[in-house]
Amino acid sequence: MIDPAFIQDVIRVLFAVVIVTAAYIISTRNMISLVSVYALQSLTLVFMALALYSLEGTTVLLAIACITFASKVLVIPYFIATIQERIRIKRDIEFHFLSPTTSLLLSMALMLFIYIALAHIMEGTPGRESLFFFGAVIGISLMLMGMMVTFSRKRAITKVLGYLTMENGVLLFGMFVTKLPFIIEFLIIIDLIILVMLTTILTVGLDSTLEDYHNRLHRFHLVEDTEEGP
Amino acid sequence: MSLSFILYLIINTCAVLAIAPLFVSIIKKVKAWTQGRRGPSVFQTYFNLAKLLKKEVIYSSHSSWIMRVTPLVNIAAILVAALFVPLVFVPEPVGGIGNIILLLYLLALAKFFMALAGLDAGSSFGGMGSSREMSISAIIEPTTIIVFAALVFVFRTLNVFEMFIASAATGTPATPTLILLAISLFIILIVETSRIPVDNPETHLELTMIHEGMVLEQSGSNLALMELSSAVKLTLLMALIINLIVPFGLATTLTLGTIVVAAVLFALKGTILAGIIGLFESSMSKMRFFRLPSLFAMAFFFSTLIIIIEVFA
Repeated sequence: MIDPAFIQDVIRVLFAVVIVTAAYIISTRNMISLVSVYALQSLTLVFMALALYSLEGTTVLLAIACITFASKVLVIPYFIATIQERIRIKRDIEFHFLSPTTSLLLSMALMLFIYIALAHIMEGTPGRESLFFFGAVIGISLMLMGMMVTFSRKRAITKVLGYLTMENGVLLFGMFVTKLPFIIEFLIIIDLIILVMLTTILTVGLDSTLEDYHNRLHRFHLVEDTEEGP
Repeated sequence: MSLSFILYLIINTCAVLAIAPLFVSIIKKVKAWTQGRRGPSVFQTYFNLAKLLKKEVIYSSHSSWIMRVTPLVNIAAILVAALFVPLVFVPEPVGGIGNIILLLYLLALAKFFMALAGLDAGSSFGGMGSSREMSISAIIEPTTIIVFAALVFVFRTLNVFEMFIASAATGTPATPTLILLAISLFIILIVETSRIPVDNPETHLELTMIHEGMVLEQSGSNLALMELSSAVKLTLLMALIINLIVPFGLATTLTLGTIVVAAVLFALKGTILAGIIGLFESSMSKMRFFRLPSLFAMAFFFSTLIIIIEVFA
């Protein structure tokens, strides 16, 4: 049996990793590294779920770890990386309302606000002094930071990554505090995969006719040029 | 002042002077490897310094006494600052030595004189370098102060020696606050030593140079002193990261054995960190001047977070 204190230390370190990745996602302009950092963040959540499993022994956590790994570390980043490679946009340098620096400073204020608010709400409950309190704070902060990415970026693909980060926040919060039923967790992930597939269409654009759409696919190199018919 | 403290002063100064050029060379070597070149020998910086020390100093006819005293003030301030960050052996602190606020001011003093000397020679490159350096300093200074304040909050002491003793005593690396602190300190190191996303130490392009612009008018032994002081500054910032984050092996008692072990371990850890710096520099391109604040904001973000955690938790 592994020492629970050691596992709690590991989880704390993982919290730090989540914060670092979130800060990177908010402030970077390089879209290729954005996807790999998102995958890293999801992997951190997988490790966190595994650590919690060894602490509590609930099999749901193990299942969450498995589907998170399959969907958010492998499938979704693969999809997005493929789209990125094909549409050949490497940088996202346009922002609405907030520059990356301002978003970082703002998210700091958000975290402080959430910390104080949650400390008031959970005052006197047994969850106040433990790891679960930090999990809740970081989960909600991650959610709001993802939201900030969603509304401050102009490119659809980065907006989607912001949305995915938001969902990571929900997952983190769910793991530590409310214990969402597994079926909901599963449905959310299916939603995400559909969202990412839709993004494939949205980033390329919707056209009134299929012929137009087909031309556009060619323009963005989404399908290889085949030989013209006679 | 005890005997062990006097010994510490000698050991630390010798160690920092001996190892500083090596780290600079290792960074250059790693960068050369990533570019597919063989790169200079790891002792090249020593040879360069030895060569420069033998050369004649030439002053511009427009320059004043500032130009003459700057190399001396610079090396003196940086060497005193190096005494504040023990490399291999941590004694009990004596007087103000080890005070983190004084450390910051010593670094600022060196930087101030360097900027003055850049202006003093009357060349336009020097002026541009100084102006850029001061603009960057003005932006990075709040971040530096916050990062060091976070250090103070984590260790509950203003003295670097006591911080090192505390971290050497616990010995467990990588608590979450220390990871965040390490990232912040790394960004400070990159900025303070004029490394790639901020400034490129290897070019003399008028459009980009900052640090090189300021020392452009220095020559001979004065240039050697300036280069040595920037190498020592790099080493002392590296030592700060190494001895806080991976303190194992750091000697707290004065015996020959522990000091030799600590010195070897420090050289190893420093080599690894220098390699990381080289890789980091190779993986990045130089940032546009007006995008630099987003880099600093990252360090600011992490250290403020640490302070929030330390104050409220």
